[in-house]
Amino acid sequence: MNPVVLYLLLLKAALTSFSGMTSVPVVREDLVVRRRVLTDRELNAAIGVSRAAPGPNGLYMVGVGYAVAGIPGALAGAAAVVTPAFLVIPLVRYVGRRAGNPAVRRSIQAVVLAGAGLVLAAAIPLAVDALDAWWKAAVALGACVAMVVAKVDPVWVIVAAGLVGLVH
Amino acid sequence: MADPGLRTLAAVFLRIGNVTFGGGDPTIAALHQELVVRRRWLSEEQYGLAFGLARITPGTNVLAFCAAAAWMIQGWMGAFTAAIAAMAPSAVVVYLVVAGNEWMSASPWVRAVMAGIAAAVPGVMMASAIQMTGSWRNFGWLRVVALTGGALFCSHWLHWPPVPVLGAAAFIGAVWPE
Repeated sequence: MNPVVLYLLLLKAALTSFSGMTSVPVVREDLVVRRRVLTDRELNAAIGVSRAAPGPNGLYMVGVGYAVAGIPGALAGAAAVVTPAFLVIPLVRYVGRRAGNPAVRRSIQAVVLAGAGLVLAAAIPLAVDALDAWWKAAVALGACVAMVVAKVDPVWVIVAAGLVGLVH
Repeated sequence: MADPGLRTLAAVFLRIGNVTFGGGDPTIAALHQELVVRRRWLSEEQYGLAFGLARITPGTNVLAFCAAAAWMIQGWMGAFTAAIAAMAPSAVVVYLVVAGNEWMSASPWVRAVMAGIAAAVPGVMMASAIQMTGSWRNFGWLRVVALTGGALFCSHWLHWPPVPVLGAAAFIGAVWPE
């Protein structure tokens, strides 16, 4: 498949979703069902790898692109993942100009506070899935304390946690 | 506007964007620590603006967040640099594994390291949530409890998607006088 066509199809899928994985049905419909250039097995493998790897979940499109069109396809997938991100800038520019308005300022503050609640909500299933031993709970607690109290760089927290996993 | 230089900016988004497992939420949470708490490149309000607007942008939210945050720090070049830096190494990892190097996921050493990292992620997210509500004195306790607790309740127990939760919070914030 032509990488440009592949890019446009993946971009369409990315533009119709609001999180990394909600584009999957669109990708499947276009590439597996209609054009038959991808199998369900290849799609599942790409999704599984992206969830196990660091970075955004939406990067499964890189694996999809590689499966369909080799290295040019992988590049097309990466480009399709990153392109919609820049749509946020006109929004930031528009709302940012009005940030001096008290109602807008209070709205932004409220979004920060609600955002903390969303972060906690997202942490709960990850904790339930990951913290199945006492040492893992200790790692989670230690990570939280290190960041809040000692202001440790999160990268060092992640590296230290990986080392604890290795030596345990 | 802070002026850290593109190289420093890229290094920060490269490190945080590509070592944080579990998708966009842990990455955005870890970036709060780096951009707001440690380096003070963004204010809490700027972070909140990027956080909220990235949620309503189509595509991968964390990349939209990186573009928005870096645009406020260093303009269009910053946005472009940050978005690419936050995904390129991870994209290479996905490519390498899909291309045939599945041994990585089968290695017991890799699995042990991943287990440790997965355990730290909830702690990192908890820390960031605490820091995001840390300026409660500016808001008042009732506002913190209502908005943070309400968002947690609506998202976790009522399974509301993030966009309506943040939309409701923005509306409540606008009409709730200080």
